[in-house]
Amino acid sequence: MIRYTLLLILSLLSANVGWAYPSITNYMTAEACVHVVMESPDYINNHHKIQISSVGPDTLKTSTYLTDTIDIPEKSTSVVRNIFFFKGESRWLKKINYSDKSIAFITALIAAIMISIATMIILLVIILMNRRRMEKEELLHLYLMEKYQSLIINYLFGSASPEEFRSIASDTHRRQVLIDQMIDVSIYLKGDESKKLVSLYKLLSLDKDSITRAYSHQWHKKIKGFRELAFMNINDANSAIYKALNSSNEILRMEAQIALVRLNDDNPFEFLSHLTSHFSLWEQITLHELIIQHNIPVPSFQKWLTSPNPSVVIFALRMIREFKQKESENDVRETLMHPDPAVRYLAVQVSGDLDMRSTLETMKDMYKYQEYNICLEIIKSMGKMPDISMMGFLKLVIDKEDDVQLQIEATKAIHNNGEEGVIALDKLMVSKYKNYNIIIKHVLDRRIF
Amino acid sequence: MMGSIFANIFFIISLILIGSYLILGIFSAVTLRKYLRKNSYVNYNSLVLSPLSPKISIIAAAYNESKTIIDNVRTLLSLYYNNFEVILVNDGSTDNTFEKIKEHYELTKVNYYFDYHIPCERIRGVYKSKNPSYNRLIVIDKKNGGKADSLNAGINICHNSLFVSIDADSIIETDSILKLVKPFLEEKDRKVIGAGGVIRIVNSCDVERGHIREIHLPGQMLPRLQVLEYTRAFLLGRMAWSQLDGLMLISGAMGIFDRETVIKSGGYSTKTVGEDMELVLRMRRKMAEKGVKYEVTYIPDPLCWTEVPSDIKSLYKQRTRWTRGLLESLFTHRKIFFNRTYGSLGLLGYPYWVFFEWLAPLLAFSGFVYTIYLVLTNSLNLPFYILLFLFVYTSAVSFSIWAILFEEITYHKYKKKRDVLKLVFAAFLEPFFYPMHTYFAVRGNLEALRGKKGWGKTERKGFEIKKKKVRQPSLRRPVKPEKTGKSDSST
Repeated sequence: MIRYTLLLILSLLSANVGWAYPSITNYMTAEACVHVVMESPDYINNHHKIQISSVGPDTLKTSTYLTDTIDIPEKSTSVVRNIFFFKGESRWLKKINYSDKSIAFITALIAAIMISIATMIILLVIILMNRRRMEKEELLHLYLMEKYQSLIINYLFGSASPEEFRSIASDTHRRQVLIDQMIDVSIYLKGDESKKLVSLYKLLSLDKDSITRAYSHQWHKKIKGFRELAFMNINDANSAIYKALNSSNEILRMEAQIALVRLNDDNPFEFLSHLTSHFSLWEQITLHELIIQHNIPVPSFQKWLTSPNPSVVIFALRMIREFKQKESENDVRETLMHPDPAVRYLAVQVSGDLDMRSTLETMKDMYKYQEYNICLEIIKSMGKMPDISMMGFLKLVIDKEDDVQLQIEATKAIHNNGEEGVIALDKLMVSKYKNYNIIIKHVLDRRIF
Repeated sequence: MMGSIFANIFFIISLILIGSYLILGIFSAVTLRKYLRKNSYVNYNSLVLSPLSPKISIIAAAYNESKTIIDNVRTLLSLYYNNFEVILVNDGSTDNTFEKIKEHYELTKVNYYFDYHIPCERIRGVYKSKNPSYNRLIVIDKKNGGKADSLNAGINICHNSLFVSIDADSIIETDSILKLVKPFLEEKDRKVIGAGGVIRIVNSCDVERGHIREIHLPGQMLPRLQVLEYTRAFLLGRMAWSQLDGLMLISGAMGIFDRETVIKSGGYSTKTVGEDMELVLRMRRKMAEKGVKYEVTYIPDPLCWTEVPSDIKSLYKQRTRWTRGLLESLFTHRKIFFNRTYGSLGLLGYPYWVFFEWLAPLLAFSGFVYTIYLVLTNSLNLPFYILLFLFVYTSAVSFSIWAILFEEITYHKYKKKRDVLKLVFAAFLEPFFYPMHTYFAVRGNLEALRGKKGWGKTERKGFEIKKKKVRQPSLRRPVKPEKTGKSDSST
């Protein structure tokens, strides 16, 4: 089918070329003709009828000469025919005045039309062929997937021999489907079966394919290679993976991180120490999910709180919170003074979430020098770890701050102090200094959260 | 002499327009290929389950949508994302929209205290459901003020750093939030201030309880032509502009924004009918003037399905409104025009919109008028006219087919071969409808000059009409006055 289409495209292209060449010849003839006409007034007088009415006003400038030579074809259909089927003797091409446009210009215009028509036809053919190709590929892929999956399972748990895979591995496309299937199956395997699958992978030299891909210059091939190596636990291309760790391509970088976590059993997060590029939230979420789903041993993240890369510090703080590593309290307190505001913000949040009360005084002291969002987070954190010693500060926030959100969070924080908090709010309700009622009503409405 | 000048201008503009489409198409192809390749390795499920995913507010404005509001809210509440709240703003509906939603979702008024960070009409009350199943839902009942005003009210109420603004009567793809939020999670040295995606046309699709059951090409010619137009605009145009950092528009049907930047920019403007474009322009302008590195991103994934006008009268209203919105936005931010301070936006994006989105249709219209004059005075240079016509026609059809090819090799939403062939056929017919669009553009300009305001009434057929005749024409929002910001309580 592809051959037929290529033939069709080639024939169309050659047809276009075929049209184009005579057209150029015709225009050259036409130019010469106009030249002759312009130099021979006698020729004008003796040859053609004048049809001034059919000439646009834009041609009036040269009407004394050229309009006299215009010979409009009798039917518009013949005009169209002449455009597409150039004939050497076409009077239309030779004699028409194209609004003072040069012959080269007209040629370019016709060439552009031809190119557009050719493009249209080619695109249409591609659309139709692509649809058929996609349907065909999908069917074949489904068939091969089912076939290979049962073959792999039969090999792992039944009587199939490695020789049955040899013929598959000799074909490039089928080999790739086989690799994909082996990776899919490997997700559910542990122990001896997993080792058996890895040996088969190596026996069929599929690991060489993966290593070649990992060293490829094309990023999408690299990713595929990294994934295959990580799933099959093959460490032979680690240098390529480390190199990709600081790549500007975020998806390649992320896949390199995932591969290294999976391949490095002793110290899966060692790569964090080598990471110099920004560790985006997306990468952090993906890695966190990897830890959860694959039961990867969780290290103590506090050692990365001193990383020179702020995004690594942020990740460490998040992991400390998610895995409730409260023993990091002292280091978290230190990060409250981090020069990066994003780190400070998260450190405040983590302190509150993990009930790290030793941070309260530091937070109170730092409050007045912080940006709005950090201030708000400090008040929220104070609400998460209610402490009577903070009540005075919180009342001050309600009194002095104009921002509604700060007032609400400070009121919530006071309210969280149990009975003493309620008494403090009661006093505020009757205060004449400011109308606190609407804030307190908001805070006490348990439907709002 | 004049005729020659006219002919030259028409030709040069056509040539530049086609050339720019070609460049945009190439840019788009490269970017789209890269995006799809990258996306094939992305597992969005990790975002759904993760406690690290950011919390998002979805703000939808509703005005007289009583027939569909229950289903629409249900669709919003069932979106595939973990951390989100839905803020529905009842923009002073005159039918029983609010009563229906109050009853169905068991709403009760809460003592909500908030700031009018952005001016908006008075909020009469904030409601939450007594039923814990609907604890994600917040309903605002406010005085009528228009779509922009309603969105501003929603922004005032929400506390999350990101918000998604949507049309309550659009159908949202269940995974759309995952895709929209991703650019914000990938943020590096440039702050992401907004992101938009592809809007698709729902006419003739089978819709059941707020979800698309089966996708069909619109049966009527006008919506079908708009399918082509949307495909070209979203897959060829905006994709390229996003890459060139010249994106000026995030569709009002669905877009995600950084709340802080929106508030600092003053929120949605209630003075224009093109509030979506105006907001993006204003945000970009503010960021550039402050010297903050930022980006507005675009996702080529289909995120949202909307109903388009299926009759000329409705189309006329929509297009004249769009033209007015465009003109108002361009005029308000005329400072950007060829201004290096605004980078690609000032040097590429904005001038492109001025010349090709605003002026080109006007020039084309004058071209049509001039052609009629030539015909009437029997002075049309027919051969040259035919050549020019063929040049423009074949180029236009080629671009449309190119867009269809993009759709085919990327998202492949129309599964039936017949649908694609119909679309190709529509591509051949579409150029003949161009004079109509240029007429709408002229009328839009005239309305803008006359100072016409407001959305007018847009009649919608309803996309569930095939399954059950439930949807009546819904009215869009009338105009609204301004209000100054101050603190208030819904109580």
